[in-house]
Amino acid sequence: MALALVIVFRSSSTINFAQGEFALFCCFVAWWLNTKGVPMLAALFVAMGVGFLMGVVVERSLIRPVRRRSENAVLIIGLGLFIALNGADGWIWGPADKVFPQLLPHATSDYLLVGGARLQYDTIGIFLGLVLVVGLLNVLFNWTSLGLQMRAVATNPESSSLSGVNVGRVLALSWGISAAVGSFAGVLLVPVLPPNQLDLGQFFPILIFASAAALFGGLDSIMGAVVGGLGIGIAESLLSGYVTILGGQLQLGVALIIIVVVLLWKPTGLFGTRRIERV
Amino acid sequence: MSTPGSAAQIPLAPNGPGQVPLLELRALRAGYGAANVLHGIDLSVDPDEVVVVLGANGAGKTTLLRAIASLIPHIGDICVDGQVVARSRPDDMLRRGVGLVPQGRGTLSELSVRDNLRVGAVSRASGREVAADIERWYEVFPQLGKRRGQTAGTLSGGEQQMLAIARAMMARPRLLMCDEISMGLAPLIVTELFGVLRQLNKESGTALLLVEQNAELALDIASRVYLLEVGSIAASGDAATFRSNDAIRRAYLGYLLRGTDHGGDFSRSFVLRDYIRIHLCARGAGAGHRLS
Repeated sequence: MALALVIVFRSSSTINFAQGEFALFCCFVAWWLNTKGVPMLAALFVAMGVGFLMGVVVERSLIRPVRRRSENAVLIIGLGLFIALNGADGWIWGPADKVFPQLLPHATSDYLLVGGARLQYDTIGIFLGLVLVVGLLNVLFNWTSLGLQMRAVATNPESSSLSGVNVGRVLALSWGISAAVGSFAGVLLVPVLPPNQLDLGQFFPILIFASAAALFGGLDSIMGAVVGGLGIGIAESLLSGYVTILGGQLQLGVALIIIVVVLLWKPTGLFGTRRIERV
Repeated sequence: MSTPGSAAQIPLAPNGPGQVPLLELRALRAGYGAANVLHGIDLSVDPDEVVVVLGANGAGKTTLLRAIASLIPHIGDICVDGQVVARSRPDDMLRRGVGLVPQGRGTLSELSVRDNLRVGAVSRASGREVAADIERWYEVFPQLGKRRGQTAGTLSGGEQQMLAIARAMMARPRLLMCDEISMGLAPLIVTELFGVLRQLNKESGTALLLVEQNAELALDIASRVYLLEVGSIAASGDAATFRSNDAIRRAYLGYLLRGTDHGGDFSRSFVLRDYIRIHLCARGAGAGHRLS
């Protein structure tokens, strides 16, 4: 999720608050397909496709008309989408929690023993999925023409377009890709996150965590998003494990505190680049 | 002040018979929102030609180039190779062969020098040719070659301007428009940049449309000149006439030819405007006239 935020930020310098709801919607799509008998893996790909299309369509129809006016407007539209999509999910599929099928083996007996620690297959699977996505994104950004254009558009859209970049197409594609990555993460994560079922409110805390992770690592760095995500995760379990007054309920609070602290102390994050302007 | 109707009286380029101008503007109007800045510009650039647009601050020089590059909407006709360009984006314009080095250089400051050049070539297909072009520009501007891996935002102003020219040329435009490339740079670097532009024109036949306040250098490499005043063409003619004719120099370029080091001096700009206004009033014309 943090990755998805970073992708949109890298190519458009805006944060998409609706990112989590994109992913949730796609999870519902995957769940719905699965109940119709589509195997989970196929459903995952369909969900990613749906996510991609949603990203592209939203960018074209809602974001583009207001982008010229102000970036704040884009933020507000993201918030609006957030609420609208959540409502739409509930309206289409009903408010009850859904039992979400596991993509990976997850029985307590499915584990690898590494140095005395039990590594569950699903944990390993999620980790490998993450590595795969990060690898692909790095290739995309650093080795492909589209990635080059995405980076160019992020730093100077007008100049990019003068250099021959079709800015509108690049922005739409980056929204699409980020929504697809978000839904990939969503489908993998839903079963392992409390309440282990598909729930309407499930992705809001994830968005907070992802924002914290992306900010912590640096908004324009993929590497930062991964390290930030791991860091936040560890900080969270340590804090809620050892500082007993916090209990399990205040995890979100920890993430929010991290957001505030990072913004105050080092707005560029760990791996973010400081914007250099020289005239 | 000329009215839109009177702009049509201004003579166009002295084309040879049958030659189609690379770029032709007919009664071009453009501006920002409700405010019109250009009031009917007629202008043309032939293939291989170097044309300079001179004018004081606020005359509309930058607006002119931005309109041609499709960064802002326009009314009137912009023709490339005799074909009217309608509803286009800057990248379309570049594909037609018209590139712009924008004012302020448009550096992609968070990308490396090499990536800046690669972005300039996204409209081209062949990777090998692009790589060869990048190497060529490293030779033209050795400073860029030395800093190819460096983030472009860390370059000096002069280096960024070199990068801007090289990036614009990576798309191999047939017409390169430059918006005040001398702005804020040391005279030595400005001379070097103009040298490169002259060479580009001579060797690859790239046509140039330069917008400048630094009249001396620009007139040196130009074949034709347009003088822009408050959104209209006040005069146009051969660069040689502008250079050699003392009366014209005094009338139109009074200060410009004396002050070659910088262009942003506001009080001097006023002097230029007053010169033009007095000159035009004395003739009772109120519209542009031909010099050559």
